[in-house]
Amino acid sequence: MRAFKKAWVRQSLALLLLVALWEACSRAGLIDPFYAPPPSVVAATLYELFAGGSIWEHIAATFSAALLGLVGGLLLGALLGFGAAMAPLLADVLEPVMILLNAIPRVILAPLFIIWFGIDLGSKVALSLVLVAVLVFFSVYGGIREVDVRLVERVRTLGGGRGALLREVYVPSVTAWVMGSLKVAVGFAFTGAVVGEFVASSRGLGYLLSFAQSTYNAAQTLALIFIIMGFVLVLFALAGRLERRLLRWRYA
Amino acid sequence: MEPRPRDLGTRSEILVPYEADPSGAGPGGPVVRVRDLRMRYGDADPVLDGVSLDVAEGQVVSLIGPSGSGKSTVLRAISGLHPPDGGTVDLFVEPREMGFLFQDDALLPWRTARQNVALGLRLRGSARTEAEREADRWLARLGLAGLGPRYPRQLSGGQRKRVALAQVLALRPKLLLMDEPFASLDAIVRHHVTQDLLNWVESERIAVLLVTHDLEEAQALSDVVCLLSRGPRARISNRYAVEIPRPRNLIDARGHPAFAPLLQRIWHDLSDEVDQLGGAI
Repeated sequence: MRAFKKAWVRQSLALLLLVALWEACSRAGLIDPFYAPPPSVVAATLYELFAGGSIWEHIAATFSAALLGLVGGLLLGALLGFGAAMAPLLADVLEPVMILLNAIPRVILAPLFIIWFGIDLGSKVALSLVLVAVLVFFSVYGGIREVDVRLVERVRTLGGGRGALLREVYVPSVTAWVMGSLKVAVGFAFTGAVVGEFVASSRGLGYLLSFAQSTYNAAQTLALIFIIMGFVLVLFALAGRLERRLLRWRYA
Repeated sequence: MEPRPRDLGTRSEILVPYEADPSGAGPGGPVVRVRDLRMRYGDADPVLDGVSLDVAEGQVVSLIGPSGSGKSTVLRAISGLHPPDGGTVDLFVEPREMGFLFQDDALLPWRTARQNVALGLRLRGSARTEAEREADRWLARLGLAGLGPRYPRQLSGGQRKRVALAQVLALRPKLLLMDEPFASLDAIVRHHVTQDLLNWVESERIAVLLVTHDLEEAQALSDVVCLLSRGPRARISNRYAVEIPRPRNLIDARGHPAFAPLLQRIWHDLSDEVDQLGGAI
């Protein structure tokens, strides 16, 4: 019973119970397996996907797009956010654009990117990058403007100039902000990649999903959803470790 | 800059001697001289208008007054954080020989205690290893030996305040500006930190300008207490010499025969200052 006190044990048990219930309902004929195939069938589909080996090519395509978009978006967003916070003129130009991009569901840009960059990797990276960059822009821009004034004054009275302020106050403070949105950014990067593939592509998990949907293959659709969930959870864990490492002053 | 004879101004009631005491115990040459300082934030009425004060080597001057009168603003003007709107601030030491101890203990949260203390030294050109060694010495001197690798959030309020103090004292300031530095500490910790600081200030003959709302603390630490009038357009309405010999012990100082009568007098004047204008402290 001691183990039951741990949150992850309770959560795993709840999940197992749900899967068992689903399987039971399906076997008892309470839900139509055409729409909601039982977990055993989904598992079999997953096995086939991996056993065939062709799934890896699609995973690689989605991963490349998402990771390139994530890294590019982090860099671009951080650069523009820093620039806007430092140069008011740049802020005047960038802020309205970013606010507009933030207000719309950015995935509506997918068709445009496919016209511009084709159905290959480029359009997926672009979508993923825009999703991430806007998020990061606001966290960096906001982060710099909300830097603790007391710390700035502290470093100034200790004799620090612009370079010291940047190194000792701004960069660490912004790192904390960006780390706070890193997990959301990972989710966004995958959204961009998968949605891009969904709209038009010849490879990737989004492409497989769209194919499975068009053939009414619910088992395969669910299997693909689980694959994407699995990879995103792994990336979440990695992002969490990175956060703890970079922000060890907060967790120490 | 050559120290020049001081114009005492008509407002000062008690003359603060400038000439170095041959025994080396009294105040020495001028360290900072403020004349007719005017400060304003934005378009509002000036917070300060016509503030004049002096701090000499080895002298502790405290600034008291109703809250909101602009006590901290005087320190901001001297430190260069906020340029004066009028009047002059003459420093007789290098700006790098000035230390500022703030009210809060905002250390860089992403730097360890050691790195925080070393920061000022490194900004003055010390190599990292040398700065960190010096930082450790200061931490030890302030009773924080072994706490160098800790981050600020792993320290208690009193420990953080000591780190902030080490950060400033490590720079060997000749002028120390302090803005209610110990207000947030509990009485016992406060007593110890204050006494440690006082010992160091006395032995190094550091010039100190202390802003506080605690009259007893002001008197126990200072040679001169300046009363700032209620703002806006605050100025120094009175000065009081505290004639208690140094080196001082904070507890004995409070028991000195000169202590209670002066306290009563300053309280009286401060209350007048507040009542006169129909405000509250």
